[in-house]
Order: sequence, then C-alpha cells, then structure tokens
Amino acid sequence: MSQEGPTVLEGPTALEGPTALERFINGVLPENPVYRQLLGMCPVLAVTNGMKPAMTMAAATAFVLICANIMISVMRGLLKPHLRILVFTLTIATFVTIADRFLAAYVYEMSKQLGPYVPLIIVNCLIISRCEICASKQSITVALADAVGMSLGFALALASIATVREILGSGSWFGLAVLPGSWPGWGIMVLPPGAFLTLGLLLGMAEWASRRRAAKLRGSG
Amino acid sequence: MLTTVALILAAAILALLAVGMGYVLGWANRRFHVEVDPKVEAVLGALPGANCGGCGFVGCAAYAEAVAKGDADINQCAPGGRSCAEKLAEIMGVELEESLPYRAVLHCSADWDQRLQRMQYEGEQTCESANLVAGVQGCTYGCLGLGDCERACDYDAIRIINGLATIDKEKCVGCGACGRACPRNIITMVPFKAERMLVVACANQDAAADVRAVCAVGCLGCRACLRVAPDLISMEGALPVINYDNYDPTDETIEKVLEKCPRKRLVFVGKPSEEHLAAVAEEELPESVQADFKTTVDDTKWRG
Amino acid sequence: METVTSLILIFIGAALINNFVLHYFVGICPFLGVSRRVDTAFGMGCAVTFVISIAALLNWTFTYFILRPGAVVPAWVWQTAGGDPATQVDLSVLSYIIYIFVIASSVQFVEMYVRKFFPPLYRSFGVFLPLITTNCAILFACLEIMKHLQDPTKLWGLHEALALALGGGVGFTLAISLMAGIREELDLCDVPGPLKGAGIALIVAGILAMAFMGFMGVDKGVAGALGSLLR
Repeated sequence: MSQEGPTVLEGPTALEGPTALERFINGVLPENPVYRQLLGMCPVLAVTNGMKPAMTMAAATAFVLICANIMISVMRGLLKPHLRILVFTLTIATFVTIADRFLAAYVYEMSKQLGPYVPLIIVNCLIISRCEICASKQSITVALADAVGMSLGFALALASIATVREILGSGSWFGLAVLPGSWPGWGIMVLPPGAFLTLGLLLGMAEWASRRRAAKLRGSG
Repeated sequence: MLTTVALILAAAILALLAVGMGYVLGWANRRFHVEVDPKVEAVLGALPGANCGGCGFVGCAAYAEAVAKGDADINQCAPGGRSCAEKLAEIMGVELEESLPYRAVLHCSADWDQRLQRMQYEGEQTCESANLVAGVQGCTYGCLGLGDCERACDYDAIRIINGLATIDKEKCVGCGACGRACPRNIITMVPFKAERMLVVACANQDAAADVRAVCAVGCLGCRACLRVAPDLISMEGALPVINYDNYDPTDETIEKVLEKCPRKRLVFVGKPSEEHLAAVAEEELPESVQADFKTTVDDTKWRG
Repeated sequence: METVTSLILIFIGAALINNFVLHYFVGICPFLGVSRRVDTAFGMGCAVTFVISIAALLNWTFTYFILRPGAVVPAWVWQTAGGDPATQVDLSVLSYIIYIFVIASSVQFVEMYVRKFFPPLYRSFGVFLPLITTNCAILFACLEIMKHLQDPTKLWGLHEALALALGGGVGFTLAISLMAGIREELDLCDVPGPLKGAGIALIVAGILAMAFMGFMGVDKGVAGALGSLLR
C-alpha cells in the first residue's frame, strides 16, 4: 500500500456530524421521536383520541421546538454547563406560554379539550433532548433543520395513532364520518387503555418493519 | 397603566425569584458540599467501564469507590486485567502482587449424542426454564445446551457447539457472567497458572451405575485420580474436585492423573497446543446455532 | 368533618380513580424506563412522591399569593400604584415559567441536602432526582392545583393541594411497582420479537389501565360510607 499523503476526509467531518439536510430527513422516520427514540410519550397517548386535537398538539409542539432550537442555538456561546438544563427549560417554558395563550385566544374549545397537555410540552423529553443534543452545539440552520425534521416525525407519529384510535373508536376522521353509522364504535379506543394498546401494537409493527429491513440489508450485503 | 404595572411587577417577581433561588442554591452548594475523593475519579478513569460486575461490586463506580477507600484489592477487575491492576497500583501507591487470570471453565463435556435419556423439550428454550422441568435429559447435573451462558457473555467467548457450551479462552476475560447465568452452576472460574490447566470435565456426583445410565462419557467416581494425587484432588460425592491452590503446573502427577482416568474426564483446557491446532487445521468452524423459534407450540401435530 | 371527607376523596381520586399514569398519561417516561425491577421502581416512586409534595407546597404558596387572579401581592401593588380597584393585575401568565423554575431549583436543593445528610438514601434513590425534574407528573400536579385556584369562591387550601400531590405520588408508586412486578415475570415469557421491551410494556400498561378503570364510581361509594360513618 503506497503512502500518498494525508487522507482526505469525505463528507461531513467527524466534528460536524450530520448535515442540516441529513438531520431533517433523520427526524422524520429513521430517528422518529416516538417510534425510534421513545420520547414525548405523554402527549402522544393523551391527545390522540381524535385527529383534530392531535394535529393541534403537533402544531404547538412544532412551534415550541423550532423556536426553542433557534433561540438556544443563538445563545449557545453563553451557556454554562451546569446551568444549561435550567436555561433550556425556561426558554421552552416561555414559548409554551406563548403557544398556550395563542391557542386559548383563537381556538378556545380545542384549548379546553387539550387542557393541561399544552403546558406539559415544557417537560416533553423530546424538546429538551433536541436542545441538548443539537441546538446547543450546532449553528442556527442545522438546529432549524433538525427541529423541522423532528416536528414532522412527531406529527407523523401522532397522526398514525390518532387515525387508528379515531376511526376505530368513533368511526370518524377529523370529525368526518368515514365508517357507516352501524359501526358500534370501540369505546375502549378513545379511553386511556386504548391509547396504551394502540401505541404498543404500533411500536411492535414499527420494530418488525425495521427488523425486516435490517435483515434484508444483511441478507443482500 | 394596567399593562405597565403588570409588566413591571412580572419582571420584578421573576428577577427576585431568580436572585433569591440563586442565593439559596449557592448557599446550599457550600453548606452541603460533599468531599469527593479525587482518587475515585482517577481509579474510575483507569477501569475499563464495562460494568460487568465481575469484581463483585455493582458497577465500576462502586468498585472505584471501594478501591479508593482501601476496602478492595486492586486486582479484582478481570476485564481490566494486569494492565488495569498496574494502573490502579500506581494511583493508590501500593505494590502489585502476582495476580492470576481467572477464566471460565465448564464442568461438562457431553454433547447431544452422548447425553442419554433426552426428551423432546418443547418448552421455553432457555436453560433456566428447562432446569425447572424434570426429565429434559437424563443427567440432572450437566449442561443443558440451550444457551443462557452464550447470551450472558458480552465478549462472544462462549458458544453452544453440538449442544455443549464451549469456551474460547482467548476471548474470555473472566467476568463471571456465564457462571452467574448457568442455572446448574457448572461453570466455575479457574485460576490459569499455566496456559493449559487440568479440569474435571464432569459435574455428575452420582454413583457409577447411575452415571452410565444417563451419560456416555460422565465421570464414574472410580477414584483412580484420587489415588494418584491425593493432595490435589478431593471427592464430592462420587465426583473429584481439584484444589487449585495446591495446583503446581510443573508437577508430573498432573500428567499421570490425566492418563489414569478411564473415562478421560480429566482434561486439559486452555490455549490449544500445536498438535491440536494442526489436527483441526482442515476443519471448518462449526456454526453457532441460534434458537429461531417462531412459536413454542409445534402446530404440525394435532393435539385433539 | 367535611374537610376530612373531601381530603380523603381528593387523595383516592388522585391515587386510584384518576391515576396519574394510567388515566392522565403523565410520567410515562420513567414508568417505562425505570420499571424493570421492583426495588428500583419503588425507589423511583418514593422519590416522585417526595418531590411532588415539595413542589406542590411551594407552587401552591406562589400561586395563592402571587399568581392567581385577585392574589394579594399584585392587588396590593396595584392599589399602592393608585390603580382602579375594579380591574385586577393578573400574573397567571407567569405560571408555567415560575412552576418549572421552582421545581428545578427545589429538586436541586433536595438532592444536595439528601446527598450530604442521608448518603444511603442518596445511593438508593438520589440518582433519580435529576430525572424527576422533567417529569410530567410533578408539573401536572402543579397545573391541577392551579386549576383549582382560579375560581375565587372555591379556592383550594394547602391541605387540599397536598392531598392531591400525595395521592398522585402514591398512585404513581402503585402503578410503577405493579408494572415492575409484571415486567419481572415477563422476562421469563415468550414475547414476540418486535414487541419486546417497550411494546409489550405498553400493552401491559393498557391492561392495567383497564383494570384501574374499575375504580370509577368508587369516590361516590367512599363519600357515602364516610358520610354515614361521620354522622
């Protein structure tokens, strides 16, 4: 093997990690916050008894995640290590207050239905984890791409669970009837046990799909 | 006016809260300060960090604390080995005594065909579950071959080959996970005073007639080994046990013991010798079989 | 006597009927993460109960005196500034920020205290304390208390707030310990591959939630029994 001089590193260097585009794509399916990282389960179970509350929650979380990521990324030079979790939490709390007041002002009924789960976005592990892992170390564009990707992934997860629960539970989707009136409506689906069961089974399906993909890659490689 | 007052009040409250909490936490930090021994940090850094539990403590952190306090020996980390013990000796400023590598040894050598009275076991394919059921195989002491030890090993050092757990001495680090996983407790840790050590490759303590009924190769308890080397070997039931404290690799009685055994159950384990390697040079490595059960119920038979 | 009845009802409501984990879905992350062995699960439950009570105490005080509409401190400031007594200064918009700040600081304080004065206790559940700061259950308890401090005619006192907090903590401990016991048994079972870990845990949680639904209506029964007992 001849020595030709220093090796040239291809793609993003070891220090930078994934690019903005890669982070965006990562957040949707490969590192989906609910199905792969198992973060942010509380709202996922609580608000998915219908598509409307689920999508409202997804929008609120997206707003908070994007704003918080941008803010933390702007401030990242000033963060002291032992205070950073507190700073993240306070920033997120501010944006959640804004989102909560906005929802209460413009969609009051929905805000009442969502109840305490909008303020609980503050302690959504997903947002704090993205701030810690990405926003506090990367530039604004990368943090923004990461936030948008993760928000899309989160919305996708919420939509999948809400679809199952709403269709089976009330025979409707976004409030529009999709099943005939004779559908008895599985009450359990819109109650807490239904949430757990749906999420558990969907997680199993996602795991099965990813194992099949991994086996195919192993088999062909 | 309302807005201004509200804004000023809000800002004042937040500022007061921040300052107040800052003071309280700062005071608490000094008042409740816990002295952390810098030695603990240093020891923790020197340890491999595998958290295997082989040292007898719950994790590397617990062992580091014990060493820093002087409550534990510095040579108890098996994966760390000698280099780690040397580093710890440096940090703690003590002399390193000769410490021996402990490696896992399985006290059974019968594969599927040599075990007699085996039943078709359709239950949970784990040794722990099979051990709870009577009659899976004739010998109630020996290896069940369902792989609990294989799954417990983080270093890929133990494989089930032909129904018998086989340990790769090169990969084994002596953490003891396999020994803890084995429900029949037939994997023990043996100090390797030489590259090849004599071990008793059987665990069956029953009398000869009973052993013959359940195993084609098991130890009969004839005591021939005991007669040759009475200081090295003691009996537990009808099973010889080697005392490794008295084991001297240069002693010739060890070879004699090996020859005297009619069943050839006293064997050398460890680094393979040149002749052994040459003898199997042509053969392929047997595949490690993973249980790929889709169901524990055999649905091809109608159970009516 | 009515107070005692209402306190017991609040406690049972938070612990069993509207169990924080199985009915309100708060505290799922530790519920799934720390529920593999009964002793760690119980330790986590105790830590959560402890932190919830302290957080409820501090945040009730803050909300009662400063943050609710018509609270004493803003009203006094407004009055001294010469404001119109018909309108109120409502600082409840600061609630979320102050709650989370108070929770984070008090957890840090408690952790330092326990580490200094109760080392064996710190070793058993001290490691959970920083985890609990971002636990939904604590913030949820504070939000529930805030909900009951909005209506000036039906304000919750400190005793009711603590009853809710303790009930929530006990309910969480109960749920997580049950879950841990079940998961320990699940280790020996033949769980289908894709469902191992979180999948089967959630399905078991669903069945537990169904079981806890059986407690609905218990509060009426208890209220009736207590009423006739204390008459």
